[in-house]
Amino acid sequence: MLTYTLRKLLMLIPMLLVITFLIFVGLELTPGDAVSYMVGPEAMANMSQERLDELREALGLNDPFIVRYLRWLGRALRGDFGYSLTSGVPIKDIVFSRLPATLELSLAALLISTLLGSILGMVSALRKGSILDVSLTVAGMIGVSIPQFFFALVSILIFSFKLGWLPSGGRTMPGYTTFLDRLPHLILPALVLGITMTAGVMRYSRSSMLDALSKDYIKTARSKGLPEWRVNLLHGFRVALTPVVVLVGFRLPMLIGGSVVVEQIFQWPGIGKEFVAAVRGQNLPLVMMIALFSVTAVLVASFLVDLLTALLDPRIRLE
Amino acid sequence: MSRTRAARLNRKMDRLKMLEKEGLLKSREGSRAVGKFLQNKLAVVGLIVFALILLSSIFAPLITKYDPAMIDLRSRLSPPSREHLFGTDKLGRDVFARVLYGGRISILVGFGGALGAALVGVSLGTYAGYKGGWLDKILLRVSEIFMSFPQIILVLLLVSILGQSLWNLLVIFTITGWGSVYRMTRSQMLSIREEEYVQALKAFGLSDGLIAYKHMLPNALGPIMVNLTLSTAMFILEETALSFLGLGVPLQIPTWGNILNAAQDLTILQEAWWIWVPVGLVISAFVLSINFIGDGLRDAVDPTQQG
Repeated sequence: MLTYTLRKLLMLIPMLLVITFLIFVGLELTPGDAVSYMVGPEAMANMSQERLDELREALGLNDPFIVRYLRWLGRALRGDFGYSLTSGVPIKDIVFSRLPATLELSLAALLISTLLGSILGMVSALRKGSILDVSLTVAGMIGVSIPQFFFALVSILIFSFKLGWLPSGGRTMPGYTTFLDRLPHLILPALVLGITMTAGVMRYSRSSMLDALSKDYIKTARSKGLPEWRVNLLHGFRVALTPVVVLVGFRLPMLIGGSVVVEQIFQWPGIGKEFVAAVRGQNLPLVMMIALFSVTAVLVASFLVDLLTALLDPRIRLE
Repeated sequence: MSRTRAARLNRKMDRLKMLEKEGLLKSREGSRAVGKFLQNKLAVVGLIVFALILLSSIFAPLITKYDPAMIDLRSRLSPPSREHLFGTDKLGRDVFARVLYGGRISILVGFGGALGAALVGVSLGTYAGYKGGWLDKILLRVSEIFMSFPQIILVLLLVSILGQSLWNLLVIFTITGWGSVYRMTRSQMLSIREEEYVQALKAFGLSDGLIAYKHMLPNALGPIMVNLTLSTAMFILEETALSFLGLGVPLQIPTWGNILNAAQDLTILQEAWWIWVPVGLVISAFVLSINFIGDGLRDAVDPTQQG
């Protein structure tokens, strides 16, 4: 297990180094440097060229490329990701202040899609080939074909404007203190995100359940005379669910990407909305760092999934 | 098995053998996939809807007399009528005409992006999958890097670096999409590489490029076509999402996403449903039809994938 972990780690680290290097190249290519952010255009006009060069030299901006990269990487590892172009706020603060909202939304959507997807997938597998199975499969295809934002818009129109049941956006209001106050704001975006993710989970759990049902221990359980629901639920579904939950659980970081559009529509103050705003405002340092952050989260999560599956299934380690 | 049935099967086998001898089986093989596809009701429905929407976009000038860019301030925000089938938008432009003409760009971007990704992915994957070695290793790592980004994050990152335009969007879709095509083609080639005819070709002394592209690639085309279809659907959805956010195709060009962009305005969303609901339904129907076709194709070319 240890050698397997080390081998996976040896694959992860070079990937991260290449990606950080690419991000750094991107940052270097963007117009302006640290001096132009620090000094401001008016002060810069009054400063002599020598003074500017001195500043650049003092900040280490004239060092060779690779030295600057390593210095930047060292700072990033210590948690210093630079500053937002538009507001001057440290990027670290922006990311960490937005993260809870995104996590809240993603976890809720994940819960909805896992529950709904695994149950529907199970039912579909148990009634394989029936009208129910076919219509669930078709419903799943319809689900992945409707643009997510169109689904969101329709649900806002119906549930916020026509019926007036739920707020159309935002996360908190002045005077909100507990999670329960915020809950009505969470329901609609979480449902939209969760339902659009359900189709994938359903497909996966259906095939996982079919696989489990074809195993010998199911026949054994049946021949022992156990009632059908016990066979299906306790022996089939429980086993089929494990890979589904493991996989779904670690898809969480991918949701930072998945929630970009939903956060924008519901004005949900998470990382996705911040990202769209940064792209619109040509705030490249922030764009780059959020991308770096999300890709790191994805890579670390897939590293953990690899370890976990190797832990559950020893054959993988020997591969 | 009853005796008559066995005899019948035997006769069938004999007939097939005879056909094979005469070299007639090959043409039948082609029609088998087509027949299988046509048996799939959903795929046929998909094909009809797909053709309907595609043709009405292409022949838009014959269907509507309105110019999608013509501003008519006297009839702003008018609901659907016989005059304007889908009503008019904030500037009095005919929404039906905009949906028809918008389809041209949206379908072009979706298909173009998928085609670009397929061209790059297939041409790299065919050679690297056949040859293996350092080239394959490097390309595999590079594609891994591209694929570890959440898709929309990478697309938006590239939009902010390259800027917004129709061409840039095609380039961006190619950059984000080639990785998965590369991996699929490569794995196809890896399994074809073990076939005996490839060994024979090698023994004849044919060049690597000729073996890979001329003799092996055609046998991998089935899954590639399926992938091309399904990624067209995905890129159409991505274009509409990006344009909806105002970050896709520049706003003055009508596309499906740009029409829906108007619904970011809460009064439009609430009061003028005809501007955004019909186009949303058209997108959904079109993407669904492509997905049905893709599924039918997959069943037709690769029976092992059936679930």
